[in-house]
Amino acid sequence: MRAWAEAADLAGVVLLFLGCLQCLLGVIGMLRLPDVLSRSHAATKPQTLGILLVLAGVALRLRHGIDLGTLALIVFFQFLTSPVASHLVARSAYRTGQTGSRGLLRDDLDPQLSDGERQGE
Amino acid sequence: MTVLHAVEEAMLVASLVMILVAGALLLYRIWYGPSMLDRAVALDVAAALIIAGIAVKAAHDGDSFYFPVMLVLAFLGFTGSVGIARFIAVRDRPSVRADGKEDHR
Repeated sequence: MRAWAEAADLAGVVLLFLGCLQCLLGVIGMLRLPDVLSRSHAATKPQTLGILLVLAGVALRLRHGIDLGTLALIVFFQFLTSPVASHLVARSAYRTGQTGSRGLLRDDLDPQLSDGERQGE
Repeated sequence: MTVLHAVEEAMLVASLVMILVAGALLLYRIWYGPSMLDRAVALDVAAALIIAGIAVKAAHDGDSFYFPVMLVLAFLGFTGSVGIARFIAVRDRPSVRADGKEDHR
């Protein structure tokens, strides 16, 4: 039983370390990538995989029922809210023309928006 | 066993140092970010980093005292960037898009 507890502690620390490394790599990507959309791509690494690994590590170290429920709720709300914010930021970046200096390789949204405006007129 | 505890302690400290370095690097993006949308994205990442930092502290001390703070941050951390994207970033939109065409929206 004690061996299992120590193994869970060690696995939790390893998951914490990997999650924090993921956070650091995502922030380095945010510094190095050129425009809003690619920075938003880099920003999802700490927000989803980093938080998931870190909270799984904490759950492996604490091992109480109520704490596990709270950690699951934190992961659930983080996964629920970060796509909303990311979607709104990307939509605002597209509509204000901040999609990079080289333009987009493929733009499926432009004809849809143009058709919608033409039907509305 | 003491060696194992020392290794765990060292990895926890290394995790906390990585979180702090990531936060310090993120301050550069918040300070010099060319547009408000960059700052909005960086604000989201800052909330995620605060959650991760509190989680490392909770794993180190073995207590769950700050879990409600993490829950509230996960629940409300996106409101700031939504506000920026919805109300502030639209105000300074350029009239000519990046590829040179007129913006018709």
